[in-house]
Amino acid sequence: MKDRIIKEKLFNHPIEKIWNAISKAEEISSWFIKADFKAEKDYQYTFTSEPNEKGCTTINGIVKEANPYVLAYTWIVADTNIETTVTWTLEAIQGGTKLKLEHSGISSYAGDTAIAMFESFNGGWDNCINGLTNYLKQEVNAR
Amino acid sequence: MQDKITQLFKAIAEPKRRDIFHALVIATSALSITQISNQFEISRQGVTKHIKTLEDAGLVYIDTKGRERFCSANAKPLKELNKWMAFYEQFWDDSLDHLDTYLNTSNNA
Repeated sequence: MKDRIIKEKLFNHPIEKIWNAISKAEEISSWFIKADFKAEKDYQYTFTSEPNEKGCTTINGIVKEANPYVLAYTWIVADTNIETTVTWTLEAIQGGTKLKLEHSGISSYAGDTAIAMFESFNGGWDNCINGLTNYLKQEVNAR
Repeated sequence: MQDKITQLFKAIAEPKRRDIFHALVIATSALSITQISNQFEISRQGVTKHIKTLEDAGLVYIDTKGRERFCSANAKPLKELNKWMAFYEQFWDDSLDHLDTYLNTSNNA
């Protein structure tokens, strides 16, 4: 059984544009999650999902690597002490960019804590994602 | 202190242990160490060692009756792990879709 999630996606956009989207606070806040973020090694970042009636989740961590075009940071949800790692790797290809996302480290979780994390996470998160989707839809419609 | 999920991965990483665990999952009743030993043609000692690893990972319950120990499977730890994976699979799919939408619509000045 695997203990990491790997996603690959091709974009027909230049690598620099995607690098900015994943590494600049303002852009991260637009498409992903409200971010206090700097693509600097050791920067302690905070992601805050939009509040709703169930409350939302805070994610924080430390930037481990931020050299174009690799961005890695630890991922700690809310009040848990469970640390996983998220790594974005970009590669220029003909006609665009290949993005690889890796989320690893579940195997370093303490079992019971992982379960607790789920429970604290699930409540707010779905709603926040929905909020984000709606926000993006509005953005698109507004244009 | 070795944590549980690490133990879980260690337990299911070994093919023979996966086989034993699978046999316990599909068995209609608990299996004794002797039964497992006969079924897999490995020594009682070998089975005992594998079972201990599975037990440490929370994947097997052991019930001692007289001189024999009966083992049954507990798949719950794997379900929790699956749940975590499934959640983040969806989460990142959604997020990358959002990124795609964002890149396609944002002003590229």
